[in-house]
Amino acid sequence: MKYAPPFQRTNGFLPVLLVFAVLLLLPFVVTETYARHTLILIFIYAVLASNWDISLGYGGIVNFAHLGFFAIGLYSYAILGKVVGIDPWLALLLTPLPAVLFAALLALPVLRLEGIYVILVTIAATQLLQQVVVSQSTYTGGTSGMVLLPRLTVGDYKLSSDNRIGYYYLGLGLLTASTFFLYKLERSAMGRAIKALRDNKYYAISRGVSEARTRLLTLSLSAIFPAFAGGFYGAYLRVASPDVFGLGFLTITLSVLLLGGVATIWGSLIAASVVVGLSQLLADYGAWRNIAIACVIIGVVVVYPGGLFAALQELWNGFDRLKTNLLASYRRRTSAPLRARAMGTADQLIETSHGQVSVCDTQVGEQAILFIHGNSSCKEVFRNQFHALRDQYRLVAFDLPGHGVSPNADPENDYNLAAYAQIARDLVDRLKLGNPIVFGWSLGGYVALEYAAAGNPARAVAISGTSPVRTFPDDMPRGYIPSPHMELAGKRFHSPHEKTQYATHTVGLPKHSEPLLWQAVWRTDGMARKQAFAKLQTTDWQRQMGVIRDGNVPFVMINGPRDPFINHDFCARPEFGTEFAEKPILIDTAGHAPFLELSDVFNVQFLNFIRAVEGRG
Amino acid sequence: MNTPLLELRNLSGGYPPVSVFRDVSLTVHEHENVGFFGPNGHGKTTLLKTVAGLLDPWDGGVYFAGQRLNAEGAMPARTSQNLNYDLFRKRRIRAQDVVDAGLIYVMQGNLLFPEMTVEEVLDIAPRAARGRPGVREMRAQIHELFPRLRERWQSKIRYLSGGERQMVSIAVGLMAMPRLLMLDEPTLGLSPKLRIELSEAVRKIRDTGVPLIIVDQNVEFLTSLVDRLILFDHGSITREISAQNMPDHAQLMEMMFGEAH
Amino acid sequence: MGLDTFMFILVSGVLLGGLYALMATGLAVVWTTLGVFNFAHGAFVALGAYIAWQVTQLAAGGFGFVIASVLSVVVMFGLGFVLHFALIKPFERNANVVLLAVISTLAAASIIENSILLGWGPRDKQITPPIESRVDVFGASINAFDFVILAIALLALFAMALFLRKTTIGRTLRAAAQNREAAELMGLNVPMLFAITLGLSAASAALAGIFVGSIRFINPSFGADPLMKSLVVVILGGVARFSSPIYAAFVVGIAESFSAYFLGLYWSPAVLFAMMIAVLLIKPEGLFGHRSKTL
Repeated sequence: MKYAPPFQRTNGFLPVLLVFAVLLLLPFVVTETYARHTLILIFIYAVLASNWDISLGYGGIVNFAHLGFFAIGLYSYAILGKVVGIDPWLALLLTPLPAVLFAALLALPVLRLEGIYVILVTIAATQLLQQVVVSQSTYTGGTSGMVLLPRLTVGDYKLSSDNRIGYYYLGLGLLTASTFFLYKLERSAMGRAIKALRDNKYYAISRGVSEARTRLLTLSLSAIFPAFAGGFYGAYLRVASPDVFGLGFLTITLSVLLLGGVATIWGSLIAASVVVGLSQLLADYGAWRNIAIACVIIGVVVVYPGGLFAALQELWNGFDRLKTNLLASYRRRTSAPLRARAMGTADQLIETSHGQVSVCDTQVGEQAILFIHGNSSCKEVFRNQFHALRDQYRLVAFDLPGHGVSPNADPENDYNLAAYAQIARDLVDRLKLGNPIVFGWSLGGYVALEYAAAGNPARAVAISGTSPVRTFPDDMPRGYIPSPHMELAGKRFHSPHEKTQYATHTVGLPKHSEPLLWQAVWRTDGMARKQAFAKLQTTDWQRQMGVIRDGNVPFVMINGPRDPFINHDFCARPEFGTEFAEKPILIDTAGHAPFLELSDVFNVQFLNFIRAVEGRG
Repeated sequence: MNTPLLELRNLSGGYPPVSVFRDVSLTVHEHENVGFFGPNGHGKTTLLKTVAGLLDPWDGGVYFAGQRLNAEGAMPARTSQNLNYDLFRKRRIRAQDVVDAGLIYVMQGNLLFPEMTVEEVLDIAPRAARGRPGVREMRAQIHELFPRLRERWQSKIRYLSGGERQMVSIAVGLMAMPRLLMLDEPTLGLSPKLRIELSEAVRKIRDTGVPLIIVDQNVEFLTSLVDRLILFDHGSITREISAQNMPDHAQLMEMMFGEAH
Repeated sequence: MGLDTFMFILVSGVLLGGLYALMATGLAVVWTTLGVFNFAHGAFVALGAYIAWQVTQLAAGGFGFVIASVLSVVVMFGLGFVLHFALIKPFERNANVVLLAVISTLAAASIIENSILLGWGPRDKQITPPIESRVDVFGASINAFDFVILAIALLALFAMALFLRKTTIGRTLRAAAQNREAAELMGLNVPMLFAITLGLSAASAALAGIFVGSIRFINPSFGADPLMKSLVVVILGGVARFSSPIYAAFVVGIAESFSAYFLGLYWSPAVLFAMMIAVLLIKPEGLFGHRSKTL
């Protein structure tokens, strides 16, 4: 199941809306003809390059005939408008037809070939096209091209009037339509088939993706908007010349695509502004301009092959880490009383081998219980236990690194199960917890199992909202019910809408009743989410299963029957049963966090388990 | 006997960002033959490739005959996912230095150079051993070790069978005049007859005094050759077994996987 | 069409074939060794011609021509050697190396072409051939120098083949091309060998450029045509053997010569590209050989 929220609910919505608004209003500020000309060229290159991504980026077909689509659009407009003499608007509308036909023909050899041969056959096709255009000088003007193509008008108003304002909006409209088309295509079943064929051809075919049909459609779909752009180019400049087949044009367009970053729709838009802007800025320097642009291209491609869009994303990542860390340190200072009230005890920062963590310790009591919270949560999720059980046991809970009020840590080394388990061990040593009972919730359940599996002292282990995993990743779809929220758990950046979704489903409480937990979702370092899931595969799951199987450490599962994530039938398998509970203990009508939602019922069951463990001696 | 030849100190490595083996420490002495045994996919080949200089170690040291082969210190973490680090960072170990020191790695299932003849391959092989004595004698010895290759001298590698290719691979390793030869699953995927032939050749190589590190899945073959057996599991050395207590296949399986294998 | 015309077309076709062979072999060697297509190959041809032209301006006559050729070839070898480290080596461990190398070599071609424009201006130039006499072949009057060009081109190719097959360094080059990891395990310095390969390719391109420049006019952007022709040749011939593109070069040269006579200048490239697409469709591994790349 694929999680694909509507566009207005993603993080990209606001920036895109903003850019669109700016572009819509820009002509009122930028009135000069040359500047508007530059913007129109940027639109054209952006359309060309971003549509190239359908074949080259998403489809993995290195199609070098892409500019042929543009040239066909240009020449069809020119011939239909000037030689045939039909209405220019109609000519513009018809431009994709011959281009798509050419693309479909091109698909025949492309289907039979792979890798570098595709580059070569498409180059040959473009060259052939060029030769045909050049040789048919009666219709195409030969090497010198065609001039004075028909212009576009609305009634008597010429689009080039008022400093080309009409062409500006037509170009912007083209870009918007093309981007909308790409966005929809990427998220459609077709788009997924195209990507699947690129990533694992034979697997995709075995799952019923038709290679011939998909490749044919990939090429045909990528021809539509370049052809429009070609027709628009012809109507705008009123010239059609075989220069569009040249290496220079190819280099600029390809560099827009690669500088922006392959397989990103927005990258081409950014790169088109940079490359075309630079090229127009240096227009007076002739050969030096081309050398400078080529140097920039080589520089970027060599130093940062990911492209500008990736650079922007990395900047955003860095900003996000900084932001969440600042948020944590701000909350550490300002919301201390609130947290102390919730837990009944003030928290403190403790140094561990994987960075500092914020720890809440009731300090009194013989037997210690260590609580480990789940993904995108915080230690305050256990506040009901801290109130109810503090007289009988010593209770310790901590914020995982990158969560709650613990500072962010190193993504590579500190955000994984082994590191979290090591932190728990460090705390056991530092706080002298002896032989603690470990309770883990959700992701924390795996941390608790990992802690015990690594041979650390544990009197008993209880987990909640966690499905044991025998083999990874095979058991993940068995142990969990596939839902969009599962995808959110490992997703790095959440949009506000997604955060709300995630918070209400994990905690199961309405928005304002749990401010601390609510804040925790916002505060969590996106890298912690991403890494903890990415590194699940490095865990020794066999060893964790050994803890349950061997029975040396008392073990029990306590779940909420309405938990939207875990598969209760899977958790109830006999192999996960222990002498304390053959099946998971179910708490009434609770959801993913039974200890928070129905704490009274949970506490009784939890204490029963602890007593049974203590009774065993 | 007791001078250390190859020494790995807390070596870690993998394919960034996936760590494959961690904190591997191992000392191989002069005139000692060591066997590696462990499940597939647990990092034996990655470890050997790192020692051979094909992959950069993440941390720790590789010492050979007292000389450090890799750069000091841990590999700095990559803070950017897209920056081309190959441009800014030097390799932390170079295959050339490793080969020049005399530590030779014979890859598993190596295709070598499909379009070159056996003769051509063996002609360029001693490039690594420039100036070292005995290259000519070694060539004669190879004729003796692998009589099968003599009739295939002018064939392209592409036309050789898997076993013959493996023989050429080992011969290439020998032509570099190794002080220590690392053989990665030399009998992998061979027919029983060829397996015996190859095992005999490996035994002869051992008997000429070239120390060996052998990775193999065939316990009997391994235990009959080596002085020490190293069990490798989940990216680290889990146990070392000396020549006196060499286990058989069943014992070994139990050691590695417990009763439940 | 008389015998003289036929001979004239045939001889000029064979001559073209020799030049194409020189260019295409350079391109093919880089493809088989480095695994990338060098789109700056045409620019190498152009730059080689311009360097030689500059030297002949300083030292005229046959002696000047020889000096110019040697100098140009040596300089271009050095340039190719250096450019490997700038254009291709940075991506050696990137999965997208083919695509990235396309753009980096295209950009390099743009730099070279525009530098020529800056240095020598846009006007057509020609290298004065050292031999002006003509010989009579079955009634067709043909430049004697054309035969010299053909001989030298073939000799150069023969020398290159010999170098790759018989010398140890040539063999290590082939080894590095065929299996990079195994070559590294033999202690070979693979990046250096790759750089030498690109240098050799650039040197052969320069030699071709000098010859083209002494029988035709050259201008800064004339490299595009040799690049396309080399592509056609390499596809037609395949790269199964060192000699495959050479045979194909003569086929292409003669085909071009005849189609230019019968179909006109505009249509002869179209015929070539149609041939190329047909070959890719029917026998993608090329006309001469099996599906593998080697030297």
